Amino acid sequence: MAGLTIACVDGDPQARRETRDALVEGGHDVVSCGTVGEAADLIGTGDIDCVVTEYALPDGTGLNLTDRIRKRSPDTPCVLFTDASPDRIDSTGYEDVVVEYLPRDTPEAHDSLSRLVENVVAQRTQVGYPLPPEEDERLAALAQYDLPGLNAADTFDRLAALAQHRFGVDVAFVGLVDAHEERFLACAGEDWETLDREDTMCTHTILEDDSLVVEDVSADPRFADNERLVELDIAAYAGVPLRTRQGATIGAFCLTHSEPRSFSEAKIADLQRFADEAMEQFELRRRLAEAGSDTSADPSPEPPTEEPRETSETAPDPQDDTGGELS
Amino acid sequence: MSVQRNGYSFEGLPLSEVPNGTNLLVTGPALGGIRTLLLRMLLRGNRREGALFITADTDGPTALSEYAAVGGEHDPMRVGVVDCTETGVDDAEHNVHAVGSPNDLTGIGIEFSSLYESLYANGAERVRTGVYTLAPFVVYSSVKPVYRFLHTLTGRIRTADGLGVCAIDPDAVETETLTSLAQAFDGRVVLRSENGEAAIRVEGLADQPDGWQRVEF
Repeated sequence: MAGLTIACVDGDPQARRETRDALVEGGHDVVSCGTVGEAADLIGTGDIDCVVTEYALPDGTGLNLTDRIRKRSPDTPCVLFTDASPDRIDSTGYEDVVVEYLPRDTPEAHDSLSRLVENVVAQRTQVGYPLPPEEDERLAALAQYDLPGLNAADTFDRLAALAQHRFGVDVAFVGLVDAHEERFLACAGEDWETLDREDTMCTHTILEDDSLVVEDVSADPRFADNERLVELDIAAYAGVPLRTRQGATIGAFCLTHSEPRSFSEAKIADLQRFADEAMEQFELRRRLAEAGSDTSADPSPEPPTEEPRETSETAPDPQDDTGGELS
Repeated sequence: MSVQRNGYSFEGLPLSEVPNGTNLLVTGPALGGIRTLLLRMLLRGNRREGALFITADTDGPTALSEYAAVGGEHDPMRVGVVDCTETGVDDAEHNVHAVGSPNDLTGIGIEFSSLYESLYANGAERVRTGVYTLAPFVVYSSVKPVYRFLHTLTGRIRTADGLGVCAIDPDAVETETLTSLAQAFDGRVVLRSENGEAAIRVEGLADQPDGWQRVEF
C-alpha cells in the first residue's frame, strides 16, 4: 500500500529526517514537523493518512498529540515510533486514545515502521466503531452509487419529508456511510450535513440484516456515552440499511426523535419500503450514469406525492405517533 | 527464520486447526471453565511458538501458574504477561509487565505491542495471544476506545500470522455490546456448562466440528 501521506513528528531534526527518508523509500509522501502544535495544524488540513510521532516532543508528548487528533480526525491512525520504553510513557489522562507502538530499537525498525503504517491504514485498526467484514467491498460499492452530479436531492428530500410526516418523528434522513463519516443526502427536520462515523448510529445499522431500532438511546450501551447524539437531541432511533442488489450496504434510511419512543413492527416494515424506494432511486441513477446518460435531468417521470408503494397501515398508529414513550 | 505454514491446532480440544492470523472470541460462563478453555487454547504447539497473556482479573503470576497447571511451559523468553490489574507489579524474571488499570487501554496497547515484538525478537516464530477477560475493559471504558483497542490488537495478530483468543462472559455485558464487539473477530467459540458437563460449539469458522462437542476440563 504505497502512496500514503504520512505526518512525521519528531523534535530531533536528524531522527525526523531518518524516519522521513525511510517512509519516502517505502513509497509514501511525508510531511514533517517538530512539535505538537505544528502537527495538529497539519491534521487540520485533512489530507493525512497516518501520523508517526516520537513520544517526547518539545511542547508535549505523542499522546498529547494523539488526543488532539482524536478530537479533530478520530479515525486517523497514530504510531508512537520512539526511544521511550513503555515504562517511561505516561498515559495518565490519555487512557482512551489508543495508539500503535514501535520501539526504535526494534530490529530493522524502519522496515517494520513502513509495514506497520501500511497495515494500520489498510486495516483501519484505530477506528472507534465496529467494521463490516467486507468493508473494502462495501466502500467500492458505495463509490458506484455515490456519483458526482447525482442530482437526487429533490427526490430524497421528498422521501425524507414524507417519512418524517408518516412516522411523526423529529427527523428523517437518507445517509451514506463512507470510510470516515456519514453524509446526509436528505434530512427532513434538521440540516445535518456530515457526522464523524464513530458518532453515528448508522454505522451499526449497516451491520444489521434488517433494521436497527433503539427505543431509548441513553439505555443502549453502544450509544449511552455518545455526547454527539445528545447534542443532536437523538433519544430514539430506527434505521434500515440501504442495500444494493449485490448485497453491499451503502447507507441507511433513518428516523430519530428527541424523546424515547417505540416503533411497531408495521412501522419498521414501512420504513423498509422507504429504504427500498431510496435504493431504487440510487440504482436508477447508477444505471443512467453507467449508460452514459445525462444525470443532470431528473429521471423520475412522476415524483411521488404520496407515501411510496403500499403501506401496511392505512392510518397512523396513535400510540406510536404520540411518542410511545418509555417509562 | 523458518515459516510455519500450518495453522494453529488445539491438542485435546474438539477444535480443528484454524488458519494463521485468526482471532477468536470465546464466550461462556465465568465459573463454567472458560478460563481453562482459553489457557488450553494458548498451549504452545512447540517451543518455537510464543504465548502472550493480557490478564485483567488475575495478576500475572497467577495467570502463569494457571497456565502451568494446564500443561503450559513458562519460558520467559517466549511467554509473557501484560498485567492489567490494579495491584499488578512488573516482574522481569517472569516477563510480567504491569499497566495498573484495565481502564488504561492506551497503556495496555503499548505494553502489548512492546511485549509482542520482544517475543519475536527472542526467537518466537509466531505467538498465541489470550485476553482474559474483555469484561473489565468494556465495563471501565467507553465503547469507542474499546473498539480501537480490539481493532489494534486483532490487527497486529492478523498481520503477524498470530492467533488471538479473547474471552468474555456474556452475562457480564449487554447483549448489544457483545454482538458489536464480536464483529472484530473471525469466529466464536461458545462454551456451555450444564449439570457439570461442558461443551463447546464453533460459529463462523469453516471446517470445524458441527454442533456441540463435549469437552473435559
